[in-house]
Amino acid sequence: MIRAAALAALLSAAPIGAAAHQLVVFASVDCETVLVEAKFSSGRVAQQGEVRVLDGQNTLLTTLPLAEDGTARIPLESLDYSGGLMIEVDTGGHDNYWILTPEDIARKCGS
Amino acid sequence: MKRHLLSATLAGLVAATPALAHYGMIIPSDPMVSQEDGRSVGLTMSFSHPFEMDGMMLDRPVAFSVTHEGETTDLLGSLQEATVMDDAGFTLDYPLERPGTYIFAMEPQPYWEPAEDAFIIHYTKTYVTAYGDDEGWDTELGLKTEIVPLSKPFGLWEGNVFQGIVKMDGEAVPYAEVEVEFLNDTAGATAPDELMITQTVKADENGVFTYAPPSEGWWGFAALNTADYTLPQEGEDKAVELGAVIWVHFEGWTGQ
Repeated sequence: MIRAAALAALLSAAPIGAAAHQLVVFASVDCETVLVEAKFSSGRVAQQGEVRVLDGQNTLLTTLPLAEDGTARIPLESLDYSGGLMIEVDTGGHDNYWILTPEDIARKCGS
Repeated sequence: MKRHLLSATLAGLVAATPALAHYGMIIPSDPMVSQEDGRSVGLTMSFSHPFEMDGMMLDRPVAFSVTHEGETTDLLGSLQEATVMDDAGFTLDYPLERPGTYIFAMEPQPYWEPAEDAFIIHYTKTYVTAYGDDEGWDTELGLKTEIVPLSKPFGLWEGNVFQGIVKMDGEAVPYAEVEVEFLNDTAGATAPDELMITQTVKADENGVFTYAPPSEGWWGFAALNTADYTLPQEGEDKAVELGAVIWVHFEGWTGQ
């Protein structure tokens, strides 16, 4: 129930995706690292931008820059991911998000 | 008495009306899966008359695969037997691990159709986009025969045109005939004339066809050609109808 509420909080706080020339944000975990990938709908990677990581209560955990290859890596152990994680990417002109649910993380961690 | 005989004859003729169009079908639970929708897509496979919602038996296909980011994965062993339109079909729940376009394709076993004195093989496919990423929507799989989309095969409004190129062995088929039919699963559509159950358009000299559906829902496009080979049936060589089938979902217009 707490997880559901946390996810609902994440969803309610989610920014509205940009329209034309959309930024596509995706994040995955391998149990050690959160890998963030950002590219535009044209297929070009987003070469710069800010990555914000929030927890299930919408509390900002960390920020870091997007690398030139459109990715960012965050050690999973540095994050409180019990309620899921919201990954926001803002390139200045475009922003979007990906939600890693507790189930997403558990599935990759084999728990 | 003569009138009764005439009526009976007419009834027989009506019963012998040419068979409705057969369609290989792959129907996803959602053609555009967002992250809020979940992490997988459900697929339902059948061989049917979609407007009439009349099922036929679909034997276990020769091939069933998904192509994503240029990589094709065999899914034949993952198909689950199911009843579709009161006949044998298959289902599959497929996890969508990453964004992008997933193309599901099926090659069925040759279906012997006595009424047409021919075999039917419908190479069937559909495109599903995951998590807001449409890259790969125009992917050509290289099937024996295939409709290569010129319109993005999802995210279309009702009334938009759908365009595709009919190909056989990788080459465009000039003036190919394309049959179009609606999956009449919930709309309750009726046809004022049987000719309107399956509509037909022809491709141009470059193999390009165009069609604009009148409503939202799943629409099937089947480009039919005769194979350059035959298959044996009870000691005789029989023609083979090769169908390039694509299923496309059109969304209802939301404006006034």
